[in-house]
Amino acid sequence: VIGAATETAWYVYGVAEAGPALDPAAPTELVVDGRLAAIVGRVPLAEFGEERLPEMLENREWLEQKARLHEDVLQAAAAAAPVVPLRFGAIYRDREDVRRLLASRRSELEGALERIRGRVELGVKAWVDRDALSCTLGGGAAPGEARAGSGRAYLQMRRDEQRLTGEVSARCAELAEEAHRRLCAVAVEGVANRLQPRELTGRSETMLLNGAYLVDGDGAALRKEVERLGSEHAALGVEYELTGPWPPHNFVEVDET
Amino acid sequence: VSVVEHSPLEERITLIELVDRVLNAGVVVNGDITLSVAGVDLVYVSLRLLLASAGTLDRLHPERAETA
Repeated sequence: VIGAATETAWYVYGVAEAGPALDPAAPTELVVDGRLAAIVGRVPLAEFGEERLPEMLENREWLEQKARLHEDVLQAAAAAAPVVPLRFGAIYRDREDVRRLLASRRSELEGALERIRGRVELGVKAWVDRDALSCTLGGGAAPGEARAGSGRAYLQMRRDEQRLTGEVSARCAELAEEAHRRLCAVAVEGVANRLQPRELTGRSETMLLNGAYLVDGDGAALRKEVERLGSEHAALGVEYELTGPWPPHNFVEVDET
Repeated sequence: VSVVEHSPLEERITLIELVDRVLNAGVVVNGDITLSVAGVDLVYVSLRLLLASAGTLDRLHPERAETA
């Protein structure tokens, strides 16, 4: 009976190029169809079943743990063969269904494997201390520092503050645009993802750029460019953070043709 | 130091990196069991949790909490 406590389904982490090098560690297994090998693992329906899953997704600890496992499995596989990452939550009732997935999307998956062969994804986040940048642009005076002696002086001060805030935002946009353009120039492909809010990052600085870049080899040129950006923008209070290599999560989108 | 390097293999991967990769990127397939949040970015699921724990989201963005 579906939904029984002990029942399981197959969770698909990604699709790799089949070959002898690919040897997934237990508890993951392979479902092979031609050149394609889906990396799968048994998951309990008690957690991943249709009725339970929405509830589990609300559990941040659970979600974080499963997302981390997903990443770990892909990284282990990516060390052995090109891997197309699947998005979190691809669940099938049995292995035959996984095989059908491989068959039905064969050309698209094989195309994606070719595009990412010998390449990795690097992540670049830039952070700005807006107060520091504001001080730099405002010539050192912290906003609201001047004493408001009269109504007119107060209004002038408020106008100056607003102008400075606008300047800071404009400069931030410029910096982000410049960084992304320069990083794209030394990458095969690049994408600027949605900026994450402070509630998620837990940092006091503002996220300026949330980029992901597909690079050849280990991406030495991009790493060098990040260092250059870091030293050029340090005086403005901008800090760059490089992560990776990652499996190419952000570069396996398929054309809708 | 203006550039900080993190290798995912050397340290715990942060949730903010997982959000941009595992949760919001990668090939989307129609599994037999579909996430009931389909069509909604998974990031909002986790975000909602984070914000909800601070008790702010539902107050500030009731419409988003509704659809997420």
